[in-house]
Amino acid sequence: MAHITINQYLQQVYEAIDNHEGSFCAELLSFKHPHVANPRLQLASPEEKCQQVLEVPYDEMVAAHLRCTYAVSNHDFVEAYKCQTLVVQYPFGISGDYFGYIFSSLPIPEGFDDCRMIFQAEQQLLRKGKGKLGDMLEKAAEQLMGCFRVCASDNRAGIDDSKKWGMLFLINQLFKIYFKINKLHLCKPLIRAIDSSNLKDDYSMAQRVTYKYYVGRKAMFDSDYKPAEEYLSFSFQHCHRSSQRNKRMILIYLLPVKMLLGHMPNHQLLRKYDLMQFADVTKAVSEGNLLLLNEALAKHETFFIRCGIFLILEKLKIITYRNLFKKVYQLLKTHQLPLDAFLVALKMMQVEEVDIDEVQCILANLICEGHIKGYISHQHQKLVVSKANPFPLLSSSS
Amino acid sequence: MSPVGCRSYDAAAGPEGQTVSENPEWEKARQALASISKTQSATKTAQANRTTAQAGQFQPAVTESTAIQQQQQQQYYQQWYQQNQQQPYPGYTYPYNYYYPMAPGPVCPPSLPVMDDQSSSYPSQPQPPPPAAPQPPPQSPTSSEQPPPPPPPAIPPPPNSQYPLPPGQNSYNPMPYPNNDPNQMRGYNQGRPSYGQSYQTPNSYQQQQNNNQHQQQGQGQYGPGAGRGEANKNKNHQQQLPQQQQLWHRMKQAPGAGAMKFNIPKRPYVMTNQSFPPGEQPTGLAATPSSPAAAPAAPGGAQTRPQDWPQAMKEYVQRCFTACENEEDKDRTEKGLKEVLQKRLQDGSAYTIDWDREPLPELKAKQSRWEAVPTQRTLESSVGRGGATRGRGGGARLGHYRNVFSQRSPSSSSSGSSSRSPSPSHSRHRDRNGQRHRRRNMDDANSTVLGKKRKGGNAGLDFHDPHREAKKQSRAARFHNTKMRSEPLVLSINNLELPKEDLSWDDCPIVGTCQEITKIYLRLTCAPDPATVRPVSVLRKSLLAVKAHWKTRQDYPYACEQMKSIRQDLTVQGVRTEFTVEVYECHARIALEKGDHAEFNQCQMQLKALYKDNPSENIGEFTAYRLLYYIFTKNSGDITTELVYLTAALRADECVSHALSLRAAWALGNFHRFFQLYRRAPRMASYLIDKFVERERMIALRALFKTFRPDLPVEYVQSSLGFLCLDSCMAFLTGLGVTFFPSDPSKIDCKTSSASLAAS
Repeated sequence: MAHITINQYLQQVYEAIDNHEGSFCAELLSFKHPHVANPRLQLASPEEKCQQVLEVPYDEMVAAHLRCTYAVSNHDFVEAYKCQTLVVQYPFGISGDYFGYIFSSLPIPEGFDDCRMIFQAEQQLLRKGKGKLGDMLEKAAEQLMGCFRVCASDNRAGIDDSKKWGMLFLINQLFKIYFKINKLHLCKPLIRAIDSSNLKDDYSMAQRVTYKYYVGRKAMFDSDYKPAEEYLSFSFQHCHRSSQRNKRMILIYLLPVKMLLGHMPNHQLLRKYDLMQFADVTKAVSEGNLLLLNEALAKHETFFIRCGIFLILEKLKIITYRNLFKKVYQLLKTHQLPLDAFLVALKMMQVEEVDIDEVQCILANLICEGHIKGYISHQHQKLVVSKANPFPLLSSSS
Repeated sequence: MSPVGCRSYDAAAGPEGQTVSENPEWEKARQALASISKTQSATKTAQANRTTAQAGQFQPAVTESTAIQQQQQQQYYQQWYQQNQQQPYPGYTYPYNYYYPMAPGPVCPPSLPVMDDQSSSYPSQPQPPPPAAPQPPPQSPTSSEQPPPPPPPAIPPPPNSQYPLPPGQNSYNPMPYPNNDPNQMRGYNQGRPSYGQSYQTPNSYQQQQNNNQHQQQGQGQYGPGAGRGEANKNKNHQQQLPQQQQLWHRMKQAPGAGAMKFNIPKRPYVMTNQSFPPGEQPTGLAATPSSPAAAPAAPGGAQTRPQDWPQAMKEYVQRCFTACENEEDKDRTEKGLKEVLQKRLQDGSAYTIDWDREPLPELKAKQSRWEAVPTQRTLESSVGRGGATRGRGGGARLGHYRNVFSQRSPSSSSSGSSSRSPSPSHSRHRDRNGQRHRRRNMDDANSTVLGKKRKGGNAGLDFHDPHREAKKQSRAARFHNTKMRSEPLVLSINNLELPKEDLSWDDCPIVGTCQEITKIYLRLTCAPDPATVRPVSVLRKSLLAVKAHWKTRQDYPYACEQMKSIRQDLTVQGVRTEFTVEVYECHARIALEKGDHAEFNQCQMQLKALYKDNPSENIGEFTAYRLLYYIFTKNSGDITTELVYLTAALRADECVSHALSLRAAWALGNFHRFFQLYRRAPRMASYLIDKFVERERMIALRALFKTFRPDLPVEYVQSSLGFLCLDSCMAFLTGLGVTFFPSDPSKIDCKTSSASLAAS
């Protein structure tokens, strides 16, 4: 496949279209397919050949695709992006109806599969000092959104032929862009569209995994940890076993959520997915070792920030306070705990400038969030905890 | 090429206007019989060794039409098998080198073994290969010179056939698609490099053949109505005729009864078909022997027998077609005519109206309805015609490719058998025509190789899906109006707009000449006039003036307007220096002080971009403001992004580190620390924190009321929540409806207050 001639390639495309083998056709237009590395297909002007072999909408589509491979091989990502925009507009039938059907059933062209290309194009533009960050991404998102609308409004065709099958793929691509440009609020209508779709459980597992991954991440950023755990767990469990890299990516978000909900990952898992950055964090949180947690967070701060989970992991401090205070309670073995005891504990953890008022503040938050059952008597400077289960299980609280 | 074929064709296409035959069908059938037997003898003498086997198959084909289908298949495969086995026969050299000029060893050599495999497996597997399977182009460029091919493929296989067929769908039927597809026409014209040889010139051929083409296209086009068997593709013209003859022969059961009459009235014949819309006749079944009534001429009944038509009407039809410029026009005209004529014939007006005055409206009407760009269409088809040269010339190989495709493109199902069946005879005869044949075989070889490759994956599927053909037919119906491009394809990527903001001011710098210190801000609606733009030197004075004015009078509207006009002048002149930074910083601070969000954010955006090129000592300050603003908008995503780009140096900045600590306290709900930091806010940070301090106080208060029992001193609230004095705290609390203990008004009744706070 990798070394076929242009004619063979075109013939394959032709036959794929002719036989309505959409998925194969999509592969032939995909940038994940090995043919893109074939130097024989990387033509500066493939138009003529394509025109000779393929019918009207397809010749331009394929020509644009080939030109795109050419541009990519030359590291001209801006040009590649332009070509790619040409490629995408076809399958979704911005103009016609009839050829939309080809791609309708399954095979959403993976043509736009690579947002990376857009990212690269953008970076190239930025390096030239042109354009603003996110401009090109937003343009691409606009275009995808146009495609999405076409798909979503296809009420005409039967379910087998419906372009609605393309929705999830497009949504996933849009998610990629929205997450990249921090426009998570734009995800909302897309999620709603899928929620209300009767096809939502029938899309391909790969796409559903991707979708749940992004929806889970969004829920996490919205601090909806329970649904986030649900989505990300689905994604992790159904992600193909060979996609270790993807599983790792899912874990990066699933782990903090799980930890916030009181489920700590074991070492084996962390080692398997090369996520030892979490090891110290996990240890610190379960031990209530605030000092270690701060160290662990500081040590891997760059990694966590780049993954976008630093702020989530920071919230583990609350859990750590709880575990720390629980130890204080277990040591003192009483239900009326002097606030000074907590202050000593916090000072031991080298919390800066901590005073009794801050202890009260931290305790107030823990009680408010249900991590501690009890109340503070300001007058007596004591924490009075419930006799039954004063520190409820994390997984049961909140 | 076979002279026999030519002769029989010529005879069939013979002069019009001669005496009307009583039974054109019989006549044709007779011709077909004659031509087939001649073909056999001719081919026998030419290549005795090969045709011996095939001749045996041909003969039953003539008489025993029901068995033909399978035989065609077998014949076809055997043909192939033989071709591949007997490589060195005259005029044929195995063309891989020609076809794969660049293909290195690994690609080429497999083809031969591959084909051997296939061919050897064929006899035991006479099923039609999947469309993707290798096959010689069923429609060869030289099809016109073919001897009449085996009988039409429309005959369903015998009942005991091993092909599972959907009811009513004969999978071997050529797909009766409407032939308004220019692809086909293009393929047809282009794919006949030998016209110039068999006929004088392509052009003259076309003129001469125009009517015939109409006719046959018409038959093809109304295939569903006129019966699938004869509804062969229009590019099949030459073969189609004999095939039809065969069909009629079969149906009428009157083989060769008529005398040799070549003057079959073409035109009326066309109209017979045209006068019946597809819907009126049973589709699919029409051509099967079981429904002989569907034979082309019969179904309409006597009313529309072409012979009975008024002469004026026939002439009218002819005029219509003469007016056509290309194949599509003809197709369209046909459609239009069909409707009109049928109507006229039915209500009898056909015999009364003055056909000479009847306008020829259909062409236009159809065009406007069907084509967005009629002119382009015309162009397209002319390209299609010109394509003949393309097919023959330098791009010959691809031209042939095209040919291969075009045969299968509109309805791939047609490749099922009709298009394939003629191929054995094709090849046999083409053997004498060295190069043409070679090329064709290269196509075949190529498609074989590719097809084989593809087949590896899903061969099983292809063969065993009983509904495959049916599905494909229905799908193919969608594509009947796919078009070929009229002009050379040009990717219009350069027309795509890309971010063009930078085109703005850098590209056409102007230098202002205005010397006014102050200027009223007006939104620019046209190109800036240098006379009204102040140069930087003047702008510096303006900035000082605005600052002084602001300090003394605190007149924000005035300051804002002046700042905006300064910014505008800077933008227009493309000035992006430290001075620009200073202006924006100044304006941002003023706007922040006065709570002008919009202006502040504009300045922040600009500053972020400006700082890249003009590092200022205030970067930290404004970065901190940005962080604080994100806290205000609770945008954790943007905060994270901001964190990514924070350098260590920036983190050490007083403002930034304060903002970061504040953010951490805020994120953990540590209000005690939060309000401590609030009271220590550097520079103008407290202006920003003010925006959300109320919000945070509410959250904190809720937590406090929920946690403390039984009471909470107001002083603690005041110190914890960052109130400067007790009075402001009391005002805040009473404003929220907090209840105090009657005995001690300095203590808050947490339980009741919590309830009232939750309710509010």
